[in-house]
Amino acid sequence: MRNFIKHTTCLLTVIALAAGCSKNNDEQVDTEYPVIDLSASNAFPQQCGVVKRGESFTFRAKLSDNIQLGSVSVDIHNNFDHHSHSTEVEECQMEAVKTPVNPYLLIRSFPIAGGSKEVEINQTIAVPADVDPGDYHFLIRLTDKEGWQTLKGISIKIQ
Amino acid sequence: MIPSNHPAGWFNRLRKALTISGTLIVGIVLLCQQAFAQNYRVNGRVTDHAGQALPAAVVQLKSTGQSTITDSAGYFSLTAPEAGSYQLLVSSIGFKTEKKSVKISSEPLTITIVLHPQNHELEEVMVQDRYAAQRKQTESLNVEVVNADFIQRNLGGSLMATMSRLPGVKTIGIGSGQSKPLIRGLGFNRVVVVDKGVKHEGQQWGADHGLELDQFAANEVELVKGAASFIYGSDAIAGVIDVKPVPPPTPNSLGGTVDMIGKTNNNLFGTSVNLYGRKQKWFFDSRFTYQNYGDYTVPTDRVYVYDYAVKLRDNQLRNTAGRETGLHFNTGYVGEKFRSIFYVSNVYTRSGFFANAHGLEPRWVDTLLHDRSSRDIQLPSQEVNHFKLINRSQYQAGKHLLQAEVGYQHNFRQEFSQYVNHGYMPAVYPDSMRVSADLEREFDKRVYSLNLRDQVQFGDHELTFGINGEHQDNNIGGWGFLVPKFDQTTAGAFVYDKFRLNDEVLLHGALRYDHSQLSTSSYTDWFETEGEKLTRANALTRSFNSLVWSAGVNYTPEGHFSLKANIGKSFRMPIAKELAANGVNYHYFSYERGNPALDAEQSYQADITLGWDTEKFSVQLSPFYNYFPNYIYLNPTAEHDYYYGAGNQVFVYAQSRVARYGGELQMRYLFTQELSSEILAEYLYSRQLSGDKKGYTLPFSPPPSVLLNLTYEPHHIDRLKHTYFSVDYSITGAQNNIVPPELKTPGYQVWNIQAGTKLRFNKRPLTVSLQVQNVFNTRYLNHTSFYRLIQLPEAGRNIILSVKIPFGTGSNI
Repeated sequence: MRNFIKHTTCLLTVIALAAGCSKNNDEQVDTEYPVIDLSASNAFPQQCGVVKRGESFTFRAKLSDNIQLGSVSVDIHNNFDHHSHSTEVEECQMEAVKTPVNPYLLIRSFPIAGGSKEVEINQTIAVPADVDPGDYHFLIRLTDKEGWQTLKGISIKIQ
Repeated sequence: MIPSNHPAGWFNRLRKALTISGTLIVGIVLLCQQAFAQNYRVNGRVTDHAGQALPAAVVQLKSTGQSTITDSAGYFSLTAPEAGSYQLLVSSIGFKTEKKSVKISSEPLTITIVLHPQNHELEEVMVQDRYAAQRKQTESLNVEVVNADFIQRNLGGSLMATMSRLPGVKTIGIGSGQSKPLIRGLGFNRVVVVDKGVKHEGQQWGADHGLELDQFAANEVELVKGAASFIYGSDAIAGVIDVKPVPPPTPNSLGGTVDMIGKTNNNLFGTSVNLYGRKQKWFFDSRFTYQNYGDYTVPTDRVYVYDYAVKLRDNQLRNTAGRETGLHFNTGYVGEKFRSIFYVSNVYTRSGFFANAHGLEPRWVDTLLHDRSSRDIQLPSQEVNHFKLINRSQYQAGKHLLQAEVGYQHNFRQEFSQYVNHGYMPAVYPDSMRVSADLEREFDKRVYSLNLRDQVQFGDHELTFGINGEHQDNNIGGWGFLVPKFDQTTAGAFVYDKFRLNDEVLLHGALRYDHSQLSTSSYTDWFETEGEKLTRANALTRSFNSLVWSAGVNYTPEGHFSLKANIGKSFRMPIAKELAANGVNYHYFSYERGNPALDAEQSYQADITLGWDTEKFSVQLSPFYNYFPNYIYLNPTAEHDYYYGAGNQVFVYAQSRVARYGGELQMRYLFTQELSSEILAEYLYSRQLSGDKKGYTLPFSPPPSVLLNLTYEPHHIDRLKHTYFSVDYSITGAQNNIVPPELKTPGYQVWNIQAGTKLRFNKRPLTVSLQVQNVFNTRYLNHTSFYRLIQLPEAGRNIILSVKIPFGTGSNI
């Protein structure tokens, strides 16, 4: 019986040690978030930017990742109740709180060609003429292939 | 309070499952019985001077290495290697240790040992330590036992925060008062919390609220690390936290205690008043706890929500104040062979969420309103109420100890937040809605539990077999949607044998079978997405069967060395959210898609605990290895979904192979009788071996850490006999091993000081405890904090003063 215990003990120890010493050479996993870059002079919209009703504007930004981009999604929604603020440093002059009647809402995701590390997104967005003017949020969500997501919430005005 | 209309069928299912499992157990028992041989035995019973049974007394048969703990009716049974004269050593908390000479022959010997009470508290501590040591020696799993003194000394914002001083235990916390346990990096539904013998059921899956437990009502907490499903069923994959109630007071007593507590960091004040009494066999024990705290303070005057700078008033995290009340009443009959105790409790918490970001969503804040008071609770906030009614009974029938627990729990949680038209929700909250515009989420859970156990001695075998059944009804409310309404029934049966092979070796073997069924209801949005009300969850019924096992050994030779090892399989049935949810968590910008095809999660774990114990020096090393063939994981994908997901990132529940290993190291060295030092260290590594996140770790993996302690206890000065002064220096490494959507967390070092004493007050000990947490007001981030993702630092310096004043006669400890 003694031997049995000894053997069991040895076996368990070996298992534990084997587990502890098992190949620890991590193939490096990606831990970098993708980047939304609005620093270019023609990037749009910028924080506190203005777009006009009944006209089109172009969402233009440089999107990049160290390995491979995933997808980008845009969400334009009203902020008439000042429910949230942007992710940006600068604060914008807000209009008075008001009740929405026909607020503009746009939720769209744009495919990014497979394998891209960097793209200049260039999407034309038409703002209908009959929507409520006022304070809006322009929210950009960008993922990379591994599922890291970067957010940018920009305050804009629709006039 | 108990509704009479149970959903048809669940009781029948439960009964059927229990009958099948019962038959299985009886068969196994009959088979096993054949195998047992006769031996040299001493059976006995330990009572106090009034003839009352003394449970949990430690009985040692000297010079054989044999020892045991008396059961709830005071009975014990020990085996000697051969006939002859022996000495029995019996000790129990609050009583003088008794020695008794016995002659053991082939005729079984039956004796009664009477213990006499004593008031010498140093002895109590030693007995308590012996009890904890005994528990550790007779369990092959890794067990730690902490008592009320430990809780008093290390009192944190919640019971789980207090427990996190132990190596291998961390918490997922939110704010200053709420946290959930992580055992070796696993938490939520992978840890079972047992309160008064019944599995505590709240909303375990959520990270933004705590456990509904009152730490003043806890007497002793047992922590089991490892595969514990064989006793506790589904969910006990990482381990178990067993919160034990205060034992009944001593006969002919009437008294109580008043606890008072104050904290400087969040300006907390609180009290807990206890009143107990007992004639001979009937007793009562009641407690009322109230705590009120303000916003907690961090060592910075501004935090950043993304790039947006949020100024903090007086370094306070806006709207993190809270209130807590706990009401407890226990009463029952404590007889020689039969005892039955009822426990009623209600724990209520109301607390605020940091106002400038709800989840990951930046929120605009009316600073005038919010900063008017640091104690008010504005939106967003939550209220949780947990009601419990439990009966624990037991009957000693010869060699059988029959035990039963019956419980009813009602967990009710509401989350309040201003209505915001996320995604496709209407811009203005419709008047026609019956739900209040501020009520975002509501979870209403009713749980009925039943445990039956029989513990019986056959020769060298201590056999326990039992059944557990539980039924849950879950309802939801509010305008937000995360989890569908569901009901769930589980039933399991187990048999567990502890076999004393010889003086040095104790073998363990256990087998368990579970059947469970979960039915979700469908949920349809109350608003239209591009002209259609979307179905967010489908009606779904799934059932799961699991067979789990465990095998272990304790090897405790004479001398300083000890070893225990355990290997076991545990399981967890998927929860409703993992199977059926298809909703958007707007505060996390995540669209979570359930997977109705998920299997019950399985886990295999091997544990070893090596010990070396001398008077001056002790060390314990406990490595483990854990493998999941199908870990359930919420995988953040590269996609966005504009329709169901309202433009959010798609998160999908998936199963992958996962390997985890690590361990804890505990060392203690006594420089002198009065000066001691302790080192507690932990390390954990996890890795996904398959699936979309192959090569990544698991979320909420605690970084390696070590805690260095120096304690001075001046025993030789009579008036300061129970005084301690202790310094903890904890070093936590950086966590760079992350998985989406986590952030790398830098390492940090924090100093804590604990000091306290016991003064004589009306001939009773008045306990004063002082703690300084985060002495140098260090700014650091905790990788496992709920607020980590929005970069909120942990609480700054906190001075905690607590006083415990006893009154009346007798004792309830």
